[in-house]
Amino acid sequence: MMTISTEPTLPAVIRHLFPPFAGLPLGPLLTLSLRSMARRQPRLFDRLGEHRTACYFIDPVDLAFAFTVVPDAERSIVRVVRKSEAATSSVQIRGPILTLLSLLDGTLDGDALFFSRIISISGRTEAVLALRNTIEDAELSPADLLGLSGFLARLADTGILGALSVARQMANRNSRREAPGA
Amino acid sequence: MTSGRMELVCPAGTPATLRAAVQAGADAVYCGFRDETNARNFPGLNFSGEELAEAVRFAHDHGSKVLVAINTFARVNDVDLWKKAADTAAECGANAIIAADIAVLDHVAKNHKQIRLHLSVQAAAATPEAIGFYADSFGVRRVVLPRVLSVQEIAALNRAIEVETEAFVFGGLCVMIEGRCYLSSYATGKSPNLNGVCSPPEMVSYDDEPNSTAARLSGFTIDRYEPGEPVGYPTLCKGKFKAGGKTSYLFEDPVSLNAGGMIAGLKAAGVTALKIEGRQRGKGYVTEVVRAFRKAVDAVEQGGDATEIDRILASQSEGSRQTAGAYSKKWR
Repeated sequence: MMTISTEPTLPAVIRHLFPPFAGLPLGPLLTLSLRSMARRQPRLFDRLGEHRTACYFIDPVDLAFAFTVVPDAERSIVRVVRKSEAATSSVQIRGPILTLLSLLDGTLDGDALFFSRIISISGRTEAVLALRNTIEDAELSPADLLGLSGFLARLADTGILGALSVARQMANRNSRREAPGA
Repeated sequence: MTSGRMELVCPAGTPATLRAAVQAGADAVYCGFRDETNARNFPGLNFSGEELAEAVRFAHDHGSKVLVAINTFARVNDVDLWKKAADTAAECGANAIIAADIAVLDHVAKNHKQIRLHLSVQAAAATPEAIGFYADSFGVRRVVLPRVLSVQEIAALNRAIEVETEAFVFGGLCVMIEGRCYLSSYATGKSPNLNGVCSPPEMVSYDDEPNSTAARLSGFTIDRYEPGEPVGYPTLCKGKFKAGGKTSYLFEDPVSLNAGGMIAGLKAAGVTALKIEGRQRGKGYVTEVVRAFRKAVDAVEQGGDATEIDRILASQSEGSRQTAGAYSKKWR
């Protein structure tokens, strides 16, 4: 596994909005969302090939919990899990939540984040690459994940992307304050 | 010296990345099919025939060209996959096929006369005689130059040949005689030049060790990284090994080529097209690098310079380090 370098993490005020792991309903909601997306965009999962049945452990290092994702189109499963459950997955991906979200919409380049050790990977490298390339081509927006269209989609994208942008700015400010010699 | 405006040739591993490259200012985009006919055969990467047809339409609508890399070497008694790839590229309306294998070049020359043939860097053609052979035999119109020539050597070469040349200006470097990498074949049992990957990802692992992380390919340790130390791609040619009692990057440092400061020199040397490496990279990389090079090339074409480019592109580089590579080499 690659170790993570210092990187802007989620500000405490936002982090506290997420409860610690306690069977969050996030898992079933994200499962429904992924399955709904597979029905709307069946080609999206083609790039994963044989790796769609792999179990991906996604660990946002600045949250108290992690996710496991099996991106098997309409049989997809997302679970909110404890950080200690990494060993049961085929692939582990770790990084600050804002960085991981930036990978989803293609704002940041995965290889550049990997070179600078902001994100880390371990497990089956070929499954990581397949997922990375699938996400890159998908050009996902928050509305896609929520299954929204039309006005509601535009509203969700503007609101969520705006909130993420504010969170990133706060995280960057915190990071600059905490950097030695800054 | 090339008389026209230099062409900026940019990478695309997926349709979304192709659109990003076009929108960032690429004159041409190169891509490949989702199989071993191209030298970036990674899981989840590349195009289906249907995706290529859509991509060609998009690129042409925006004034860009599409070049299709069918540039690995065909297997004995199994050339059909490569021929079919060439047929599909031609049907999709691609502007050029980039190939290295003589059988593929011959198939395109005989069956698809309307499509340009570019000689892939995989052919490692770096002499007037070799390039003349490909031009005379198959009508090759452009040669992608191996990353081992200095700017002076490129200028001399261009004076001696009739076809266009394309030079890499950014991205990964290859220290082998391109098209003939035996290092990976030895370690993995798979040839990069036949299967399209230097380090098959299923043979790559990153393992935690006390105070470091080890990158391994097929069980061979390539490098160990301290916490926070920048890393490179897990390729053997950029590995750290012990030889003669000294541990060092024996073949090549894990750095990226950046010849952004040499665009004017390459133009003066007669280069027609500038190529950005990185079909395995994402939209973020492609957008940033293509934009930076678009600006730099336009500045040079207007008689200015491109000094800003090194700073802009530092974060996108392998190991977060850059080199001018062989363009300013001081060795033989």
